[in-house]
Amino acid sequence: MGEPMLDFIRFGIEWLPRILEGVPVTLALWAIAISLGCVLGLILCWARVYGNRFCYWLSTVYIELFRGTPMLVQMFFIYLGLPHVGIVFDAFTAAVIAITLNSAAYQAEYFRGSVLSVPKGQLIAARACGMSQWQAIRYIMLPQALRRVIPQWSNEAIIELKFTSIAYTIGVVEITAIAQDIGSRTLDFFQVFLWAGLVYLILTSSVASLLGWVERRTYVPGVTTHG
Amino acid sequence: MTDDLILDVQGVTKSYDGLEVLKGIGFGLRKGETKVLIGPSGSGKSTLLRCINYLTRPDAGRIFLSGEEVREGNIDAMRARMGFVFQDFNLFSHLTVLDNVRICQIKVSGIDRETATQRAQQELARVGLGDKAAAYPAELSGGQQQRVSIARALAMDPDVLLFDEPTSALDPELTNEVIRVMQQLARDGMTMVVVTHEMSFARQAADELIFMENGHIVEQGPPGNLFSHAASERTRAFLNVIAEHG
Amino acid sequence: MDIYDVLIRDFPFLLKGLGVAIVLLAALLVIGFVLGMSICLLQLYGPKTRLLQWPLLLYERVFRGVPIIIMLFIFYYGISGVYDISAFAAAILAMGLRSAAYQSQIFRSAFQSVPAGQMMAARAMGMSKAKAIRHIIFPQAARHAIGPWTNEFSSEIKETSLAYVIGVVELTRQAHYIITSTQGNVLIVFAVVALLYFVLNRAGNSLLYAYERKLAVPGFEK
Repeated sequence: MGEPMLDFIRFGIEWLPRILEGVPVTLALWAIAISLGCVLGLILCWARVYGNRFCYWLSTVYIELFRGTPMLVQMFFIYLGLPHVGIVFDAFTAAVIAITLNSAAYQAEYFRGSVLSVPKGQLIAARACGMSQWQAIRYIMLPQALRRVIPQWSNEAIIELKFTSIAYTIGVVEITAIAQDIGSRTLDFFQVFLWAGLVYLILTSSVASLLGWVERRTYVPGVTTHG
Repeated sequence: MTDDLILDVQGVTKSYDGLEVLKGIGFGLRKGETKVLIGPSGSGKSTLLRCINYLTRPDAGRIFLSGEEVREGNIDAMRARMGFVFQDFNLFSHLTVLDNVRICQIKVSGIDRETATQRAQQELARVGLGDKAAAYPAELSGGQQQRVSIARALAMDPDVLLFDEPTSALDPELTNEVIRVMQQLARDGMTMVVVTHEMSFARQAADELIFMENGHIVEQGPPGNLFSHAASERTRAFLNVIAEHG
Repeated sequence: MDIYDVLIRDFPFLLKGLGVAIVLLAALLVIGFVLGMSICLLQLYGPKTRLLQWPLLLYERVFRGVPIIIMLFIFYYGISGVYDISAFAAAILAMGLRSAAYQSQIFRSAFQSVPAGQMMAARAMGMSKAKAIRHIIFPQAARHAIGPWTNEFSSEIKETSLAYVIGVVELTRQAHYIITSTQGNVLIVFAVVALLYFVLNRAGNSLLYAYERKLAVPGFEK
């Protein structure tokens, strides 16, 4: 092993534990935002597919706006902009809100795609055997639509996990912020961000495997594309 | 090896994972001849056809086209002289019918655009699709697609045409339009090797039938002889089954 | 001065920032396209040796698994240790290499959705492999790829804002300058910036949709 490699490992031994202190914050930020985003996304999807004209219009504008502008600007808007109209959040809450709102717009579109991909005959058949509209959606539509959406949803979840790093710009003390802090102390930004990158890589790969496992567990022939 | 053979196949063998699919096949084809390969599925007919133009690479054996050996090194040039018609057509889906028929004339043979267009229209008229030049493959029926693919092969001015079960992917009512085109080609003196289960075509258009089973040629001869008194028990049994179901 | 006067006075700076964002976007997309296409072609048609395929796979995994902010820092600080690189050049490099990892996957699945029979038929007609890829496979793959590529274009527009973190003076950084130099209601500044991104995104998407419609032939509709 060359000298730079040893140096890199020595640096890791010294600072990795400190970087890892950011992992719970990153994961909490991600888990809360992605779950709330899922709920909001389902509501938006509902409004767009089954809602009246007003709901459809509102949900469409929301989705287009949040998908059309950068997360960083959204976060600045919430954390730096809203206080000027008297709405103040701490950094963590602001980050959760920003990621939630952003993610909901994407999740809504994935949900909508999968809802529309469930053949119409499924709902008609459900109504034909006496189910109410709600029952048909709850017992027939949703189980199929949710299975179909898993691959795209997994992608979205991983994208958002990486996006949590944006929260450092408003001062949330997660992995990136800690790495930045270590960098300014050691003046070795390169090595610390290599380590931080490695930590993120392990996080995203683990989440990807976990969601892959979920996808295989829920596999039903003919409903999902691969098992 | 006789000089007047257009196609001369000698001792072709092919194995997949130790399973011998072709066990040393040889046959020859004179100019203007039509030979039909028949036999139960899995007998190696399609593999043999694909070995002739190296879509499947034979393990051993030699193939000559108009006296010139087909090798890995000259394969593109040799393929340009052997038309191949696929079971599932494989028309180029992003090109119009006209472009399907002329693209290889232009890009492979280096023919100028105008000549290629004329030739394409001529071949399309020959298969009865002169009015479909501007259509895309997705807008055609299976029978029409297969006729376009025959025109595409003809436009290259091939020495020989190879047909790999050209009607197997078609609904029964669409097979006839393709068979008619093939019969006309046989009458026009086209040199053809045809793998098919269409016994009516075999009976009427073939100069010779080749019956294959388990990677061997069991028997070959004019259709009249084979249909009325095949020498081999296996051939008779196969033709009986086909006669009952086809 | 109220915020509207500030906005009007400083609007040229925002436009300048937008210009920087557009150049960054164009450069990273070009790098991503060339490199992504090369990776895709090597994966599909190159030698199947592990020596080649594993590094390509690793490349994709790493660039897709690490946040772009971290990549920006790694490239900026890593390169400036040995070579005096501008933040802008570092951003182009980091984001271009990352986009390649995404574009290669878009192209790969587009190529793979062209049925195998198309290649076989082209080869059977005497086309060389290179000609078959160029005249038959590529035009079809392009039609499959353009939709996902439009998505990639959209996400990259938005991600150019993250070049902010290493000090590239693009649109978001310009907005930040305005905000730190004024006491007014900064909400409106961010709203205007968001609108600029939104319009840019819409304009780009419309162009790409128009192109997609132009390429559409029966059998390749969405």
